[in-house]
Amino acid sequence: MSLVLVVDDEPQIRRALRTSLEAHGWEVATVGTGEEGVVGAAEIAPDLLLLDLGLPDLDGTEVIRRIRAFSQVPVIVLSVREGQPDKVAALDAGADDYVTKPFAMEELLARVRAALRRAQTEEPTPAVLNFGGLEVDLARRLVSRDGEPVHLTPTEYGLLEALVSNPGKLLTHQWLLRKVWGQGYGTETTYLRTYIRALRKKLGDDAQAPALIVTEPGVGYRWVAELAT
Amino acid sequence: MERRGPEPNARSRGLSARGLTIAVVAPLAAAVGSIPLSSGGPASAIAVFMLAIVIAAVAGGLWSGLIAAILSSLAVPMLFSTPRFTLQFDGAEDVVTAVVFLAVAIVVGLLVGGASDERARAARREREARLLGYLSSKLLTGEVPDRVLDDFAFVLLDPFALASCEITVELDGQQLHAFAARPEVTVGGPQAILPLVVGAVAFGTVVVERPAGSHAFTADELLLLEAAAKQAAAALDRARLDARARMAQLDAETNQLRAAMFSSVTHDLRTPLTSIKAGVTSLLDPSVHYDVEQQRELLTTILEETDRLNRLVGNILDLSKIRAGALIPTRQTAAIDEITEAVVARLAPRLSEVKIRTNLGDDLPEVQADPMQIDQVLTNLIENAARYSPEGGIIDVMVGAIDHKVEVRVQDRGPGIAPEERERVFEAFYRGRTNPETPGSGLGLAIVKAIVVAHGGSIRIEGTPGGGAAVIVEIPVEEDAAE
Repeated sequence: MSLVLVVDDEPQIRRALRTSLEAHGWEVATVGTGEEGVVGAAEIAPDLLLLDLGLPDLDGTEVIRRIRAFSQVPVIVLSVREGQPDKVAALDAGADDYVTKPFAMEELLARVRAALRRAQTEEPTPAVLNFGGLEVDLARRLVSRDGEPVHLTPTEYGLLEALVSNPGKLLTHQWLLRKVWGQGYGTETTYLRTYIRALRKKLGDDAQAPALIVTEPGVGYRWVAELAT
Repeated sequence: MERRGPEPNARSRGLSARGLTIAVVAPLAAAVGSIPLSSGGPASAIAVFMLAIVIAAVAGGLWSGLIAAILSSLAVPMLFSTPRFTLQFDGAEDVVTAVVFLAVAIVVGLLVGGASDERARAARREREARLLGYLSSKLLTGEVPDRVLDDFAFVLLDPFALASCEITVELDGQQLHAFAARPEVTVGGPQAILPLVVGAVAFGTVVVERPAGSHAFTADELLLLEAAAKQAAAALDRARLDARARMAQLDAETNQLRAAMFSSVTHDLRTPLTSIKAGVTSLLDPSVHYDVEQQRELLTTILEETDRLNRLVGNILDLSKIRAGALIPTRQTAAIDEITEAVVARLAPRLSEVKIRTNLGDDLPEVQADPMQIDQVLTNLIENAARYSPEGGIIDVMVGAIDHKVEVRVQDRGPGIAPEERERVFEAFYRGRTNPETPGSGLGLAIVKAIVVAHGGSIRIEGTPGGGAAVIVEIPVEEDAAE
């Protein structure tokens, strides 16, 4: 059974989250401050952390930074709509995802499940990923769509690989640029946009009804296609 | 604007090079012209010289005429004495000729000089009248007083032949300072200090200074300077009163808005809260058993009302940010077409009762903008269009580029907005008269406009051939355009 640590200073929210998460079969621990969150992350070693960004004692980004010093536990940030810049900072600091308050429980649960799945897959990622019509052969760096090979440039392939290796996760512009282009990059969103557009076109994804790549304006991109079973 | 000092007065009253030339050339021409006449005796030659003197006096002024007269007085005896071309006075006759020449030169020179002085005075008066008119119109436009004062100081330089002009004003605790000077002139000449007074209150001074070595201010000039200062003072006073009146009006508007906001917000917050509380207490009531269908209905209401409340709170927060001047875009390179696609992707499943159709231009330029705020603009506009759309109505979202601007057009097939309401719908808490019952806080468009304006853009509403409304947003491509 997975253990979720909830860090939020509002008792009502802690209660609502505990009730719902427990009902879905997870074990839940709750704390009300950032300091307790960092200590809790170390002592009880949760499988996932739900972190409110508006804590009274510590800046949420600081909490993530401290936790990341010793743990790779998935962190999902809870933030209000107005806290958009903090959200990006939290993601860049190492948070895995965010959910905007007030959130629908099903949305939060979907994010929690995806994060746990990413963290807990014991078997190595299969060499060939099958997303319905789209197949990505990570070993041979080959992509095909409905059986037809798709020719990608090395950069396009690098971008696709970064996306499919982090299914469901919101990848920030900065993270993608560093991952695909290199450490010296981080603000060249125009490149990224150009390649995402090219990739969508080659993979046949419609940006207005995306089945593969979802744009989060000002934040980044998310790979949403599920593996075919 | 580059400010150059006025050029030194070309028409000085002394003898100019031109005057001297005329004074010499005219008698010389007369002498040459009268040689053929010399046989006929001096009388006709004297007439020719007289003409030369008059011409010199008219064209060159008094001094020019006098020199011409002297030269002529010398020339006549030279031409008509024997032997010719020697300077020999023939006694009384030549003296009389010389005296007459001089008298003619003086009379004509003074007459002409007087007339040209009169002309110069008239021109100066006209210039002064224009100056005063210019000053009062300038000062009354309600422009930034600082700039107006700079203009005022500068405008005084030329007509008063000043080297510099400095104005210091204290207006409602605000210090204003203006200074203008001619660059190529040494200061240190005569000075005059004029107070800026309205009623009995002095609120500043004008200090004028002429170039070193110039003549002192005449009484006339001082009177005129005082008149100019008085006009400036009156205009500044009026500007101050205007500013106060505007402030008072703004206060009144703010208060009115606050009252409207308060009543509207109270009502808008209570309505969803009432539904939520009613729904929840029903579900918690142990004495009633609701079947699954009824429970779902109650819960759906609660969910919808929660979303409504959330939107309202978000809008109120945005509005208070706008009022506090805190709605500052976090600019980065953004592609409006990409944001549009993301917004449509997010809204289309939710707004299933309408059809969203997009038309995104190719190779649209990127803009320096806050992507999340642009997202909000598009979200609000599309949601708004959906709210007024008939069932199954088409919403057209078009993004194109026109003259260094990216234009977004959101067009619906709803009832449209009457031309007289197209400005007012951007006011906070204004709800169109056409459909006053349509849900909405009356804040969405006000927020959209504030965001667009913060990006240096513009927004307007047009009618569509089908009778619907089109909202057109323009965002400049250059970053500086918005700063």
